[in-house]
Amino acid sequence: MTEAGVTPDDLTEALAAATGDESLLSAGITAATRLEGDLRLDSLDLAALGALLRDRYGRAVDLVGYVAGLDIDEIIELTVGDVTDYLNRCGQTQRRAERPAEQSR
Amino acid sequence: MSRFLIVTLPLTGHAYRAMAIADELAARGHEVAWCGSKAYFRPLLGPDATLFPTGTRLYRDQAGYGMAALKTMWQQYLIPMARFTLPAVDRAALAYQPDLVVVDQHALAGALVAHRHGLPWATLVTGAMELTHPLTALPRVDAWVRAQLASLCREAGVTDVAFDPLVSPYLLIAFTTSALVGEQPFPGHFVLVGPAMLDRPCAFPWELLDPALRKVLITVGTVVTGLAADFYQRAADAVAPLAARVQAIIVGPPDLLPEPPGNVLVVPSVPMLALLPRLDAVISHGGMNTVSETLAHGVPLVLAPINHDQPVVASQVVRAGAGIRVPFSRVLPSQLRQALVTILDDPAYRHAAERIANSFAAAGGAAAAAAHLESSASPRATS
Repeated sequence: MTEAGVTPDDLTEALAAATGDESLLSAGITAATRLEGDLRLDSLDLAALGALLRDRYGRAVDLVGYVAGLDIDEIIELTVGDVTDYLNRCGQTQRRAERPAEQSR
Repeated sequence: MSRFLIVTLPLTGHAYRAMAIADELAARGHEVAWCGSKAYFRPLLGPDATLFPTGTRLYRDQAGYGMAALKTMWQQYLIPMARFTLPAVDRAALAYQPDLVVVDQHALAGALVAHRHGLPWATLVTGAMELTHPLTALPRVDAWVRAQLASLCREAGVTDVAFDPLVSPYLLIAFTTSALVGEQPFPGHFVLVGPAMLDRPCAFPWELLDPALRKVLITVGTVVTGLAADFYQRAADAVAPLAARVQAIIVGPPDLLPEPPGNVLVVPSVPMLALLPRLDAVISHGGMNTVSETLAHGVPLVLAPINHDQPVVASQVVRAGAGIRVPFSRVLPSQLRQALVTILDDPAYRHAAERIANSFAAAGGAAAAAAHLESSASPRATS
């Protein structure tokens, strides 16, 4: 897989777009930034981010569903890096599904 | 005549609901006793009330946001509070021999004690979290809460798996209506009575209200003062440019905003029920007490939920058309102003709030709650 994955900067930009909060762009967000503890994202923000990520990265992306599968400590500690990892896993799955011929060669 | 033992928490939103109901029960000739922290309840209830003290303990600061707030609410407040008060509630039940134990949904010791002694008990649902089950969207979080409750029950010697300390099998009273929570398939012993309101008179500078301006109350409640200062500053910045048409009343200590804009009054507390008829809008964190009293007066809201059940309350208000939700920690003054101007200028918000007010009035409030409690208590004459 040579395509570059989704980076924390990509997610920061998506977060700013989903929440309408431009100050996030200069907030020094890294892979270790926590969505709840550091960015104060609530369920509404997550839903908006989920909708934007699905538009951007494909129908396999279900952020709200991903969070629904987490336990309470995993949600508290959920980081930007966890979400980019999740998006990159979705991307791989989707590309495999879209290029079955390539995979079987 | 029946005897009611009320077990609730030393928190405004919980205690005042129970007090409104206790007044109605007393007016109907019943006996009411309380079980709770003496330091909190004695000044509130006065010297003549029957109060079984549980002792008072301090709790560590709870986390402010999201799931961390939910976790510390259970782990550092509700469960330890139940453990700490259990022996005192037990003694109160034995000493008072109530016909019905009236239990705030989060005062878990009341439910455990009633169950242990085979006493009928009623649940008072003062929040929005444990009525419509919003946590089913996060099944593993829901399971975590259930596990905390199950472990508390085991510790208290209650092994009956059908027992749920959050939901009485006899009677559950919720301070809302379907106009707010939507039509729900509730069991037959759930009754929705709307808000049980109690007047809390206090000094207020009525002479400073400008009759020519529209009035907005800005309050983020009694519990979260540490988080409030920054929000209040943004709220003051939001209303300052509206000086020609809007006067805002912010509830907080005087040093909160050292130099408030000319159209902003900062007061330490407000006589909410006396003030509400004069208000055109409320900006709030979405605590059930503030929201239901506001809607009962047909006043629309801008809601900036912080934690616990507040996002649930906010989404109910938005769905009912009676308000707009904004993000508490990030909303900019310009965005807050836009939301406020929208609910002031678009009559649809006030009309939706008035629809909810009508449903609340029809539901009967504290008087209806007292009537339901009365019929659930077996009268002493027949016992």
